[in-house]
Amino acid sequence: MTEEKPLDFTREITSRLGGETITHCYQCGTCASTCPVARTTERYNPRQLIRLALLGQRDEVLKGDTIWLCASCYNCQERCPQKVEVADVIYALRNMAIREGNVPAIYMEFATGLMSEGRLAPISKFLEKKRTEYGLPPLKPANVEALKIILAATGFDKIMFKKEGASP
Amino acid sequence: MTSYALFLGCTIPARQPHYELAARKALTKLGIELVDLEGATCCAPPPIQSIDLETSLAIAAYNICLAEEADLNILTLCTGCFESLTIANRLLKENRELREKINKILSNAGKEFKGTKEVKHYLQVLMDDVGVNHLKQNVVKPLNNLNVAAFSGCHLLRPSELLRFDDPERPRIFDTLIEVLGAKSIPYKNKLRCCGGLLRGYADDIALAIARDKIVNAYNAGADCISTLCPFCFLTLDLGQMLIKTTYKEEYNLPIIHYAELLSLSIGVEPKELALDFHKIKVDKVLEKIG
Amino acid sequence: MEEVKVGVFLSDCGGQIAKILDFEALTNFVKTVPGVTLVARGSEFWRGQGLQTIVDAVKTKKINRVVVAEAVPKISEVAVAKAVEAAGLNPHLVEVLDLKDHCAWPHRDTPKEATEKAKAMLLAAIEKAKLLEPIEKAEFPAVKSVLVIGGGIAGMQAAEDLADMGFQVYLVEKEPFLGGLAAKAVRFFPTDDCAICIQSPKDLAAVTQTSRKCVYRSGFSEIPNLNILTNAKIVKVEGSPGNFRVTVERKPRYVDEKKCVACDLCTIVCPVEVLDEYNAKLSKRKAIYINKPLVYPPAYVIDAKACKFHECAKCVEVCPTKAINLDQKTEQVTLNVGSIIVATGFREYDPSVIKEYHYGEYSDVVTHLELARMLDAFGPTGGVPIKPSDGQPAKRIVFVQCVGSRDRRWNPYCSSICCMISLKHATMIKEAFPDADVTICYIDIRTTGREHEYYYERARDMGVKFVKGRPSEIVHDPATNTLIVEVEDELLRRLLELEADLVVLATAMVPSEDAKELAQMLGIELDQDGFFKEYNAKLRPTETKRRGIFICGGAVFPKDAPTTSLHAHSAAVKAAKFLMNGKIVKDLKVAVVNQDYCGNCQFCPVTCPYGAITLEPKGDGHFAAKVSEILCEGCGVCVGTCPVGAIELRHLKPSQISAQIKALLSINGTSKPLVLAFSCSECGHAAVDSSGMAMMNYPANVRVLRVPCTGVIQVQHILEAFRAGAQGVMVVGCKPDGCHYEVGSQKAKQKVEMAKRLLQAYGIEPERLEMFNLVFIEGDKFAEAAKTMTEKVEKLGPLQLA
Ligand code: SF4
Ligand code: SF4
Ligand code: SF4
Ligand code: SF4
Repeated sequence: MTEEKPLDFTREITSRLGGETITHCYQCGTCASTCPVARTTERYNPRQLIRLALLGQRDEVLKGDTIWLCASCYNCQERCPQKVEVADVIYALRNMAIREGNVPAIYMEFATGLMSEGRLAPISKFLEKKRTEYGLPPLKPANVEALKIILAATGFDKIMFKKEGASP
Repeated sequence: MTSYALFLGCTIPARQPHYELAARKALTKLGIELVDLEGATCCAPPPIQSIDLETSLAIAAYNICLAEEADLNILTLCTGCFESLTIANRLLKENRELREKINKILSNAGKEFKGTKEVKHYLQVLMDDVGVNHLKQNVVKPLNNLNVAAFSGCHLLRPSELLRFDDPERPRIFDTLIEVLGAKSIPYKNKLRCCGGLLRGYADDIALAIARDKIVNAYNAGADCISTLCPFCFLTLDLGQMLIKTTYKEEYNLPIIHYAELLSLSIGVEPKELALDFHKIKVDKVLEKIG
Repeated sequence: MEEVKVGVFLSDCGGQIAKILDFEALTNFVKTVPGVTLVARGSEFWRGQGLQTIVDAVKTKKINRVVVAEAVPKISEVAVAKAVEAAGLNPHLVEVLDLKDHCAWPHRDTPKEATEKAKAMLLAAIEKAKLLEPIEKAEFPAVKSVLVIGGGIAGMQAAEDLADMGFQVYLVEKEPFLGGLAAKAVRFFPTDDCAICIQSPKDLAAVTQTSRKCVYRSGFSEIPNLNILTNAKIVKVEGSPGNFRVTVERKPRYVDEKKCVACDLCTIVCPVEVLDEYNAKLSKRKAIYINKPLVYPPAYVIDAKACKFHECAKCVEVCPTKAINLDQKTEQVTLNVGSIIVATGFREYDPSVIKEYHYGEYSDVVTHLELARMLDAFGPTGGVPIKPSDGQPAKRIVFVQCVGSRDRRWNPYCSSICCMISLKHATMIKEAFPDADVTICYIDIRTTGREHEYYYERARDMGVKFVKGRPSEIVHDPATNTLIVEVEDELLRRLLELEADLVVLATAMVPSEDAKELAQMLGIELDQDGFFKEYNAKLRPTETKRRGIFICGGAVFPKDAPTTSLHAHSAAVKAAKFLMNGKIVKDLKVAVVNQDYCGNCQFCPVTCPYGAITLEPKGDGHFAAKVSEILCEGCGVCVGTCPVGAIELRHLKPSQISAQIKALLSINGTSKPLVLAFSCSECGHAAVDSSGMAMMNYPANVRVLRVPCTGVIQVQHILEAFRAGAQGVMVVGCKPDGCHYEVGSQKAKQKVEMAKRLLQAYGIEPERLEMFNLVFIEGDKFAEAAKTMTEKVEKLGPLQLA
């Protein structure tokens, strides 16, 4: 486990979109207590995740599978008495993890879908037929070209594919 | 007649045409004109936000631009789309620095976010444009005190600071709209808690355990069905019951019905006009009860 | 006009600084300055023989302006002023400068340059002295009476102190009974005694043979000079410090306090029953009632919202002393007081906004004050904690800490006493019911007061359970009528669902509802959390920025009883000190408005930190600003604010500033570009002092001009400095939030920004102007700033004035 100077890692997080509020945390445990995932599995606890991050445990936070266990339900964020945007902080951590090659397979799939079809769930021939049967209008195609331009401008394509096949 | 740009998202048109069908029928019947947007893409929901928040905002903003160009407010069916688009819309309207940053990205695709349009979930359209009274008048087949466990899904309500849909701890809108149809919105344990849907595909065991909680709580409270607004919740709870059967050896047979379907049925759309065969858990019991 | 004769007294500090400064050259220089009629050199002038020299010069040589170059200018200034006053000269005709710490020490490596700078400093002091004008004293009558607002422990204690000292005291309480929170709280930590027990007044103690008692038994109401007005509130405050006129509105009690014998016959016949708010609605009372435990007055009161009045009037018939009068009306009383003490306390926050705790929805979720009523033997449940939902005794009790406190969504601060209240209540319950299952869910336990930690120890000994974790939700299970508290036990990293019969919320303590209204009436400020704001938390904790108005107790911030007492006594002493002479004597170092120039722009009334300026009709239909001589503190912030220059300070006229600017910049004597530093008399000047005291070095081209507060500085002063030859200008003030005149330093910052824009427009580098915010211990920073400023200006090259 590499231990970074806690402050450096914290600064890195607070300077990211979504990560700004992490330092407000005073470890009250409200988030853990309200988290449906923490209530279901010992593998996950948002309070502890924040604690690790604030202590500069960079590897443990960014390399592990914990950050991917948040269900993004925002229960914690709603109730945190310090207005830590917990769910958003976790997005920020995920954004950082992705850049370091921690990309779960399912996210790779989502990204591929987005880049090729402009949608996460491409439509099948069967469904197209069904839609006609039900009298639904044909699905308008997504403007994949425009999307690709945007993805190139944000560097999304590179974020995702710089480490080919990288997954935990 | 009020017109909206219908933002379908990815999952509904490709996987849950029964939702789309019911929503289109009901809304049109209630006097809402739905215009399909040209070129709309994915809304950039949580999985994409997880990869890059900035990209997600840009994609959402791109889609809002399409509505701005068509001079229409957006109507979403999926709560996921509602969340991604509303967050982007509010953040960019209210934070100039961020707006400038995103607009710089969008300019490459010839777009500019102006912040002139609203994003609405169709429940808001029912409340604001159709109105509870008008809706009531349109109910020709009241749902006969059907016990409905309302489950709005997380992203209709939270993060409330940006979504501003309803009181996040004591929401009333969805329940009101269920009761207008002549059904009962029943209380049940942990009603506002998540279904775990977003963990499917990454941690299926956890996702299923959370979904099972939801089913059990609604079931124990005597629900005839769970009503949903979000295709992910639907999938998690409907298909989920099949998985619960194999994993936990438990069978609940609790129908999961999109609110749009209940709405359609109550305002006179015949069951056969809907695509109810798309439900894994058969809805016959419900149809029977409402007669 | 009398001819100006300046005497200049040069102290060489026992010869010390003469090693650096050429005193002979200085003396010769001073002699050449017009108006100077006497120059003396000595080793010290602020006491002893030196001071006598000055006095003699005033008496015999008819010197009428005194310039003293002396170390420790603050002390010397006072000593010299006093001495010349005794010698018959107005004390404000003295100017003191510090050649040691402001010149010799910091420039000791360049003695020649230092001497030249000293000349400039002396010239500036002389030129200013020539323009000084006498400032007279004013006397304002002060009524020796005090209004105390709020009849809780703070108000009662302050009132008692002052009445004991002989002041007329009016104690005004908005409720029908005294006691405030104390009356409801049963017991107080750390003494564990009755909350309403107070000290018996000195004289009465001798009579009653006791030192402390419940309020009503203590003889409190019998203290001479103390007037108690219950059921009353302040509706208007007029007048000025020493002489306020306060209108008090008394709601009818419908029962004559003097006649009521508390026989209770009335409540027996009264047919109207309502929920008793005083007892947390756990019991009912009649429309005519009295609170127990008894505080004061020992007389019944009619609840006007519930009473049927003449439709019923049963109590009137039955009252044996004919004490009841259903036709009593609201009346207004006007009080003339010299001083006002605000002691309005705090109240419990309504936690129903924290929806996840379902307060107000689940009746078994209660607050501390509600629990306190249950734990009171006089209370609605006779001392037994119950489940309000079904009246059954509560066996499993969970406390939740920090409810609405330390919560950025509601109140960000720590309410500071709720940890102790929980410990007190938990141990009280355990003592009476050892089998009760008591759990406290906490984020941090804060027991910082004397003996507080023992409560924590005792609670653990007694078996109170502690869970470190803030509950996320309280759930009600209708099947068992049980509450479930969802919480993470962080130390075990385990998620618990605690079953409870009763959940007690340690709610935040917030300011009383009427704080805002009262603050407005009194012209004092509230802090960001809505509590009354003190003048200075460290030095003047019970004073406000309005003379004569004091604050104490929970009105300032939530406090425990010992601290409240301390605070109340402090406020009483301050009020007594303010009024004891029956008059307020003050040097008129104040601002004056030239009403002919005043454009009625309304800037100054808003900017004056002391509310000293009002707009008054001029008679010609126009309004003009007017400065209250008693309220004005003489900071000069208004001077810097007035866009038409209609205001000036009597103790620092515009001509005096100009003269000093010119003089300080008239001699350079160094090879470096001149830099003028405007510094405030407070922290700014102190920083300059300390840089000298600590023997820091900075170049002699930097010259300091002292003003009362940097808020006085106008953009034109800065421009004037550049015109007079400054190549750079520094403004040295207090920290923005530490300004001695509240807003002065912030205003100066704005002025500096404005001037920078102006400079830019003139094609002058705005970097030539800089603001610095320093405190006394930052002398090194001043020296550093002076150096860098000089280097910067050198680099920029000579200033080109168009
Ligand atoms: S709820 Fe907020 S403050 Fe409390 S532990 Fe979680 S993130 Fe930290
Ligand atoms: S957003 Fe994530 S961390 Fe927060 S409560 Fe939901 S699942 Fe747990
Ligand atoms: S005193 Fe204790 S309970 Fe009260 S706010 Fe402070 S930490 Fe929380
Ligand atoms: S000098 Fe200061 S206190 Fe006096 S009137 Fe001006 S701003 Fe107010």
